[in-house]
Amino acid sequence: MANVLEIKNLCKNYGDFALKDVSFALPQGYIMGLVGPNGAGKTTIIKLLLKLINKDGGEVRVFGRDNIMDEVAIKSRIGFVHDTPYFYEQLSLKNVKATVAPFYRDWDDGLFYRLLREFNLPAKKLFRTLSRGMKMKFALAVALSHHADFIILDEPTSGLDPVFRRELLAKLSALIQDEKKSVLFSTHLTSDLERIADYITFINRGEIVFSAAKDEILEKWAVVKGGNDLLNEDSRSFFKGIRKREFGFEALTSDAVEARRRFPKSAVIEKASLEDIMFYLTRGANHA
Amino acid sequence: MRSLILKDLILNKKFLLWMGLLYFIYVAVFGSRIDNSRVTTFFVTFLCFVMPVMIFTREEKFKGTVLVCSLPATRKQIIMARYVLGWLLMLGFFVLATVAILAVPGSKLGPENLLNARTLIFALVLMALYFAILMPLLVRFGMVGFFVFLISMQVLGFVTLALASQSALKLNIRSSIAAIKNAFISLNSNLGAPAYYALLIVVMIALNLASFACSVSIFKRKDF
Repeated sequence: MANVLEIKNLCKNYGDFALKDVSFALPQGYIMGLVGPNGAGKTTIIKLLLKLINKDGGEVRVFGRDNIMDEVAIKSRIGFVHDTPYFYEQLSLKNVKATVAPFYRDWDDGLFYRLLREFNLPAKKLFRTLSRGMKMKFALAVALSHHADFIILDEPTSGLDPVFRRELLAKLSALIQDEKKSVLFSTHLTSDLERIADYITFINRGEIVFSAAKDEILEKWAVVKGGNDLLNEDSRSFFKGIRKREFGFEALTSDAVEARRRFPKSAVIEKASLEDIMFYLTRGANHA
Repeated sequence: MRSLILKDLILNKKFLLWMGLLYFIYVAVFGSRIDNSRVTTFFVTFLCFVMPVMIFTREEKFKGTVLVCSLPATRKQIIMARYVLGWLLMLGFFVLATVAILAVPGSKLGPENLLNARTLIFALVLMALYFAILMPLLVRFGMVGFFVFLISMQVLGFVTLALASQSALKLNIRSSIAAIKNAFISLNSNLGAPAYYALLIVVMIALNLASFACSVSIFKRKDF
């Protein structure tokens, strides 16, 4: 299976924040969720992919090609939605389209207007008069109107109402049905990823914590709940994050099978949600 | 590059039409009162050169650079489009300004004063100089770069005047300026007008190419 995106040892140093040796790959025809708390480095990775910022080291390959050497060819096949849609505020949607469309050889005007109707966006409306949700819908319409093979979305659902969030996720799921299109989707809303993502890449403080298939992650990771008497040096080192309370503890493990072996009856072992994983890996250890 | 120029024209369509009208009236009213073709050229070329500055800083105002850099275009292409559009706008507004001055009844300058090779080359050289110096500053600092340019020009003028008022330096400055002027005159008489003008154009093209290379290098290093 070919990878639509391959990132190897990607580095970017801002002084007060650094992306350190980030590596992961996204196979063609799948949705990958890039998840992590605010300020983890998700937007930095997306900006590096789109060459909006310069890398300090490492390699980014999209469609098997270097994203710097083949910038134009790669970007022609990418649809992007930034966390803040940077379209020209004073133009109507029709005119924004007129500024963007000539850049894409495969631009499909019919599809664009069909998407505008589907999203209830009037073509003559000025971009600045749209709500945040409508701006996101418009950005998505632009991203989809040139038959992009790879859609990159940076926090597209944050600040959106639940109805449109579901619509957007359904749209993304439908998009990859032909097994040719792929989606990279950054978010800190883990519920969105549980609905649609095939792969999850978790980033924290500029470092990749894990990057794997969602089912594999949800199968391996577990939350262990038990009495405080179970906590000793050995069990503490086994857990990735612990939240200790007066009458017991809750902890995260990346090895559910081993947890069941260690605590066959003395603890409750539950499947960990992505939210659990994110919580314990970013804050949980502090509660130990 | 065509897409990039088209994008700027769509984005600034109304602005350009209004500014075109305003320029026409302004230049017609004030430009027609000046009776010195050299002063008129200074006045008109400076106004022409301000136009691309305004267009490019509007892009910055609307935070459009992130969008443009996300589209399928290299940073070199983006800067190249700015240089081409900048020159198209300067030349377009120069033609408009010249027509405005000549169209006003009772204008103190006629076609013989403005439409001769010497005045036209002088105008081109001025625009090329302004543009070549300012563009890297605009790319690096945005609107602030334009102010840096204007303030530097004023400071330069102030320093020159201050130095000129010192009797010890007075002679040197005057003689330096005279020497530069004489060098141009001598070049003109030795080469003959056509070759002299061609040389000036070649030098200005080289200066703009150097400015372009500098702007590309600055823009490539920028993070958005």
